[in-house]
Amino acid sequence: MAAGYVIVGWNRFKRAYDGVLLAGLAAFLAAHAGAGILLAPAGQHPSEVQLLIRASGAAAFSLLTIILCIGPLARLTPRVLPVLYNRRHLGVACFAAALVHGGLVVLWYHGFSEVNAFVSLLISNPRYGSFGGFPFESLGALALLILFVMAATSHDFWNHVLGPRLWKWIHMSVYAAYGLLVGHVMLGAVQGEKGLAQAALAGGSALLVAGLHIVAGQLERRRDRAVDGPPEGEGWLDAGPAEAIPDGRAVILVPPMGERIAVFRDGAKVYAVANACRHQGGPLGEGRILDGCIVCPWHGFQYRPEDGCSPPPFTEKIPTYRTRITGGWVFVEPSPQPPGTPIAPSIAGEAG
Amino acid sequence: MSVALAEAIWRGLALYFGFGLVTGIGVILFGLKRLAPGRLPWRVRLVILPGLAALWPVVLLRLAGVRPAEDRA
Ligand code: HEM
Ligand code: FES
Repeated sequence: MAAGYVIVGWNRFKRAYDGVLLAGLAAFLAAHAGAGILLAPAGQHPSEVQLLIRASGAAAFSLLTIILCIGPLARLTPRVLPVLYNRRHLGVACFAAALVHGGLVVLWYHGFSEVNAFVSLLISNPRYGSFGGFPFESLGALALLILFVMAATSHDFWNHVLGPRLWKWIHMSVYAAYGLLVGHVMLGAVQGEKGLAQAALAGGSALLVAGLHIVAGQLERRRDRAVDGPPEGEGWLDAGPAEAIPDGRAVILVPPMGERIAVFRDGAKVYAVANACRHQGGPLGEGRILDGCIVCPWHGFQYRPEDGCSPPPFTEKIPTYRTRITGGWVFVEPSPQPPGTPIAPSIAGEAG
Repeated sequence: MSVALAEAIWRGLALYFGFGLVTGIGVILFGLKRLAPGRLPWRVRLVILPGLAALWPVVLLRLAGVRPAEDRA
């Protein structure tokens, strides 16, 4: 919640979260490096720097895989939500590990060359026209650039300055980065001495991420009420019987055009607002009404259902929608009112 | 990739982020009031500096008074 933007406090839960994160990261690096020493063919001990390069790369890739699984998992089970709230910490940790990895590669393998290290990185493998021989380092470098922009814009200040839509657009490029990295790791494995096992691991991670997204997407589509043809020929959306909306909760409508709509019931009163939270686009329709305000399930931004405004001193506004109840059924006008427009609720049980 | 192309990419990136860094420091010193209400603590100002270096074109647009798309609706 913000008068302008948010400085989210560092509470105890977040400290514990970061503690677990750092301890897990350290344990991973140690285990990976240890396995690298034990599994090395006799007489071919990798150097400490090589071990750190591999361990930090693997840590960053694993973290990114976990980050991408959390979103769909949170839709399948709410137990994952606490991890989701602080997903940005995982993202910044992932970038830090990736920076160590990429930085060490550039310094260690290219820092001693005659030309500039970055130029040396781009030209050392000239097989850009090849598929299997493609210089996988360039894919990693591009992905690192994307991760950098995401980590650099993770503070809520950026949400405010960029606007939620642009912010979300930037952060959706994580999927492009992940695609590049799957290529980076698989090509690197095939071209290096590690071969198929590592390539299979990276490919398997990609399949896991894609599979979870498909399953969660299907579940969501089933949960979202399929919008039937226009009731009474007016184009209003059918949100089903008012009693079917749990008290203090919402059903989510997917109009044929435009953004999702959350239809809330608070006792007898029925309201409709945009489903996307102004903070980071969290699904308001999966939240609940507490103390007369809709509370976003992701980080707790609040909105008054009657006008879509955050309670003062906060200034966020979301679009509202006109509603109507006919014979116990709720209908919603498909076109939104400007953010913050007051709309009187429809009253369930009244003849409408 | 040719050496000339690789050097051009390097120079382009260095120019873009170098200019962004200088602009960002200027924004942190003089321009924050126009971007966000309230006084940002120095810790937060340092945290947003890399973003200023990366996204300075958008920041300059905001300073020039261009609002995010959803505020204009
Ligand atoms: C400038 C950017 C990057 C460069 C130059 C780079 C370069 C390399 C190189 C040379 C290797 C082979 C290392 C070896 O076998 O000794 C490698 C492996 C790897 N890289 Fe990167 N990389 C970059 C970015 C990234 C990023 C952003 C990630 C993940 C977030 C990543 C993940 C990995 C992984 C998982 C491996 C396999 C490590 C292993 O052997 O277990 N890389 N990279
Ligand atoms: S509170 Fe963060 S997305 Fe809604």
